[in-house]
Amino acid sequence: MTNLTRRTFIKLTGGVAAVGLTSFGVPAIAGEAKQKVVVVGGGYGGAVAAKYIRMADPKVQVTLIEKNADYYSCPLSNWVVAGFRDMALQKWNYEGLKKHGVEVVIDEVTGIDPAAKSVATAGGKKFAYDALVVSPGVDFKDFPGYDAEAQKKILHAWKAGPDTVTLAKQLAAMKDGDTYILVAPADPYRCPPGPYERASLVAHYLKKNKPKSKVLILDAKPKFSKQGLFQEGWTQLYGFGSDNSIIKWVSGAEGGKVVRVDAKEMAVYTDNNGFEEKHTGACINFIPPNTAGKIAISAGLTNEGGWCPVHLNTFESKMHKGIYVVGDASASGGMPKSGYAANSQAKVVAAAIVAQLNGKQPGEPSYVNTCYSMLSPDYGISVAAVWKFDPATPDKVKEISSGVSPSKAPDFVRKQEALYNESWYQSIMADTFS
Amino acid sequence: MQQRKIRMLTVVGGLLAGMMLLGASAAQADITGPMLANTCAGCHGTNGISGGPAMPTIAGMPAKYLKSIMADFASGKRPSTIMGRLAKGYSEAEIALIADEFAKQKWQNAKSAPQSKMATAVDAKLAKEGEKATKSAKCDKCHEDNGVFQDDDTPRVAGQWLDYLRFKVQDLKNPELKVPQADKMKAGIDKLSAEQLEAVAHFYASQK
Ligand SMILES: Cc1cc2nc3c(=O)[nH]c(=O)nc-3n(C[C@H](O)[C@H](O)[C@H](O)COP(=O)(O)OP(=O)(O)OC[C@H]3O[C@@H](n4cnc5c(N)ncnc54)[C@H](O)[C@@H]3O)c2cc1C
Repeated sequence: MTNLTRRTFIKLTGGVAAVGLTSFGVPAIAGEAKQKVVVVGGGYGGAVAAKYIRMADPKVQVTLIEKNADYYSCPLSNWVVAGFRDMALQKWNYEGLKKHGVEVVIDEVTGIDPAAKSVATAGGKKFAYDALVVSPGVDFKDFPGYDAEAQKKILHAWKAGPDTVTLAKQLAAMKDGDTYILVAPADPYRCPPGPYERASLVAHYLKKNKPKSKVLILDAKPKFSKQGLFQEGWTQLYGFGSDNSIIKWVSGAEGGKVVRVDAKEMAVYTDNNGFEEKHTGACINFIPPNTAGKIAISAGLTNEGGWCPVHLNTFESKMHKGIYVVGDASASGGMPKSGYAANSQAKVVAAAIVAQLNGKQPGEPSYVNTCYSMLSPDYGISVAAVWKFDPATPDKVKEISSGVSPSKAPDFVRKQEALYNESWYQSIMADTFS
Repeated sequence: MQQRKIRMLTVVGGLLAGMMLLGASAAQADITGPMLANTCAGCHGTNGISGGPAMPTIAGMPAKYLKSIMADFASGKRPSTIMGRLAKGYSEAEIALIADEFAKQKWQNAKSAPQSKMATAVDAKLAKEGEKATKSAKCDKCHEDNGVFQDDDTPRVAGQWLDYLRFKVQDLKNPELKVPQADKMKAGIDKLSAEQLEAVAHFYASQK
C-alpha cells in the first residue's frame, strides 16, 4: 500500500470537490445570519440530533420542538408494566439540552412546508429552517373495533406514559386464573422484541402473584425477533412447551392474526383459516399496526407503507430535500426500530447536516444497534449489530457484524446482561438528555 | 489489507468520476473517528463517560490499550457479552480511529447513580479491606497509584464504575471463563478469595 492513504487522498481532493458542489450550500461567513436547524420531536432520535449538532458546530442555531414537556422512555417501561420499576425513573426533561445551547420549544408541530422551509405549530408559531430533522416516532393505523372508546379499555401502551401505569394496574387487578392477551403487530413496528419482552415480564409477574393465570400472545407474524432465545428462556422460567406453560404463543399461520377488536365483550377475533375465532381476556393489550408519526405523513414524507424513505448514507428524505428523518419513522433499510438505532441514525444526521451547512461532503456513516430484552428481572438477552452504507446496495444498510446472546448460556451471563440492560439505559439517557 | 486496498481504489475512482461530473452526484467523504466513536456512546456514554454502573468509562484510556482490548474482543480471547459481536464489525484502521478518539477524551470518575436500582453502592469498610488485599497480592505493581496509573497494558481502575469492576473480578475467578489478564495477574488472583476480590473492586471504585 502506498503512503497516500484514503484519508489523506480525500483530504487533498475534498477542497476541489467542494468547489464544484454548489448544491451543498455555502459555508457560513462571519457576521452572516446563523444557520438554523429545527428538530421536530425530542425522543431517542430528535434529542440526540439536536445535541450532537450543537456539539459538532456551536455556530449552528438549533431549535427543538417537542409537544410534551416530559419525555417518558419506552425502554424499560415493560418493567413498569410488570410492577418492578417505578414510572418516575422513566421520566426525562429537556433542561440538559438547553445547556448545550439547544433552544427548546414545547409545542406541537402541525405543518411542514418544504418549499418555504418552515414549520408551523399548534401554538401559532412559525420557524424557518436551513435543515429540518423529523423524529416523531410512531403512530398507529386504524383497526376494526379499536375506536376512541375501545382505546380507553384496551391499551397498547406502545408509547410510554400514563397508559403504561394504567396497564400495570390492569394487570395487578386481574384475578388468579384470568388471561392476559397480548396482540403483537405485523412487521415493521417499534421495537421488534418488545412484545415478547412484555409477555415475559407479565409472565414473571403472574408466576409470582397469580399462578393460575396465563399470557396468550396472538401474533400476526410467523416468527419473531430473538425467538430462539425467548423460547429457551420461557421453557426455563415459565414452562413453555408444557401443558401448564404460563405463556402461549399463537403464530399468524396458526390462527394468531387478530382481525378485529371488541372492547364491550373484552374480546379479540382472529382469523383461523377463514373462520373467526373469539378470544376473551380480563386484560387485553392490543398493539395496533404501526406507521410513522402523523406529522411525517401529513408533511408528505411517507411512502405507501406509511414509513419515510431516506437516503441511507445521510438519512435525508427521498421525498423532500433538506429534511432528515430519523428513528422509528424512517424506513431505515434493515435496521430495527429501536432507541439505539434512532440514537445512531441521529448522529449520522447531525454530522451530515453540519457538513451540509459548512459546504462539505457528508462523511461515510456508521451505524450500531444494541438492544437488551428481559425475560425476568435477573435474565437479560441481547442483540447487537454494526452496519455501513454501501453505494452498491443503496436500499439496505450493509451488515458488517451482528449476533445475539448465546443459547444455553450460564445463569451468571443472563444476570450480567440484565444489569448491563439497566446500565445501558442510564448511559443512553444521559447521551440523549444531558 | 488486500481488501482495504481494493476498496480504496474504487472509492478513489468514484471520487474522480464524481469530480468529472461536477456535482451530479456527490462522492462521500471518508469515515471519521467521531462518526465511529459516537456509535459507542449509547452504552459507554457521551465521549466515553459512562452513565451506568456496569458499563466502563473508557474516556482518556490509552489508545493502544483500547486497540488491544478490541482485538481481544473480536478474536474471542477476551470473554464478553456483546463486545465480541460488535468488535468484529470494524477494520483495524477503524478500531484505531475509535481508540484514538476515546484516548483524546478526558477521564471522569464514576458518579453515584441514584437512578440505577441495580447498582451496588461502594462500601467504605470493604474498600479498606480491599486496599490491604491489593497490597498482599501486589496489584499495585501494575495498577500503581491506587489504580490511577495507566499505560498501554494497564487500564485505569481508580474511580471506575463499581459494578463493572465487580463483573471483572468475578470473571477472574470464574472457571467457566478464560480471561486473558488472568495470565499476567494469575499469581495475584490466586492469592485472593472471591470475597477479597470483591473488596478490591470496592477499593478501586472508591479511589479518585
Ligand atoms: C415497550 C417498549 C420497549 C422498548 N424497549 C427498547 C429497548 O430496550 N431498547 C431500544 O433501543 N429501544 C426500545 N424501544 C424502542 C424505542 O422506544 C424507540 O425505537 C425510540 O423511542 C424511537 O425514537 P424516536 O425518536 O423515533 O421516537 P420517540 O422516542 O417516540 O420520540 C418521538 C418524540 O416526538 C414527539 N412528537 C411527535 N410528533 C410531534 C409533533 N407533531 N410535534 C412535536 N413533537 C412531536 C413525541 O412527543 C416524542 O417525544 C422500546 C419500545 C417499546 C414500545
